[in-house]
Amino acid sequence: MAEAVQIQLKKGVLELCVLALLSRGDAYGYEIASRLAEGIGMGEGTIYPLMRRMQADGLVATYLVESPTGPPRKYYRLTDEGRSAYELQKTEWSAFSAAVDAILGGAQ
Amino acid sequence: MTRQDFITRLRAGLGGLPPTTVAEIVGDYETHFAEALAAGRSEAEVAAALGDPERLARELRAEAGLKRWEAERNPSAAASAVFAVLGLGAIDVLILLPILLSIGGTILGFFIAAVAMFGVGGVLMVAGPFLVHTAPAAALILAGLGVMALGTSFGALATIASVGCTNALVWYGRLHLRLLKPALEPQGTAT
Repeated sequence: MAEAVQIQLKKGVLELCVLALLSRGDAYGYEIASRLAEGIGMGEGTIYPLMRRMQADGLVATYLVESPTGPPRKYYRLTDEGRSAYELQKTEWSAFSAAVDAILGGAQ
Repeated sequence: MTRQDFITRLRAGLGGLPPTTVAEIVGDYETHFAEALAAGRSEAEVAAALGDPERLARELRAEAGLKRWEAERNPSAAASAVFAVLGLGAIDVLILLPILLSIGGTILGFFIAAVAMFGVGGVLMVAGPFLVHTAPAAALILAGLGVMALGTSFGALATIASVGCTNALVWYGRLHLRLLKPALEPQGTAT
């Protein structure tokens, strides 16, 4: 039960996390996947369907950069639309988590 | 699972998508393996961290199906969107099936009624004046036209209803796709 709740929470904020990561600088797929796997314990494979969805929604754009070690890396950057989506979602998240904290605090 | 197994199973799961899309998706995962191996991880470790390739393929296909429905509103795109959402397991098919069948049946009934009324109206308009001599010809022609118009509007209503239903289903499926059903569980709980 606790695990199911945790998975749903993570899934809900995954897009916000990716937006936040990219707002600090462009990144390539593996980098995003390992940062999020490490940070919030997300399955690495989940990132790629999410990135395709965000690209289709116009939130991110891609470009290729040669890599010293292997195949060219696909870098993702935020579009203007992605940037405003980030600001909006961040505000919503802060308000929501503050409200939840207040209720949890009040219940003690 | 080796890198090769993972890619083969992913590719198999993506069957039916345009070849360029499949190549792009497979490319993403190939690059992921290459990066991870360069970072010193083993193929089996990386495959386990990525998760179930069939399940990833289902989510990627569902997304493609929904996009297609948004781009081209035709019956075949509607069918592929509905099947994509169902295939995702986002909706409990057993609960949804009776509802879908009854709604689908009602809409189909409307379509059949529309076609039948159009036909009857047409016959009334064309053949009526020759067959029925008790009523004025003009009245029969007008009545036939009226029935045909009614049939047409029935058809239009049924079309609007089916577009609406598909949209609702897609919206519902998307909501689940985004929030509730992870493409795979985090490491350790993967099936």
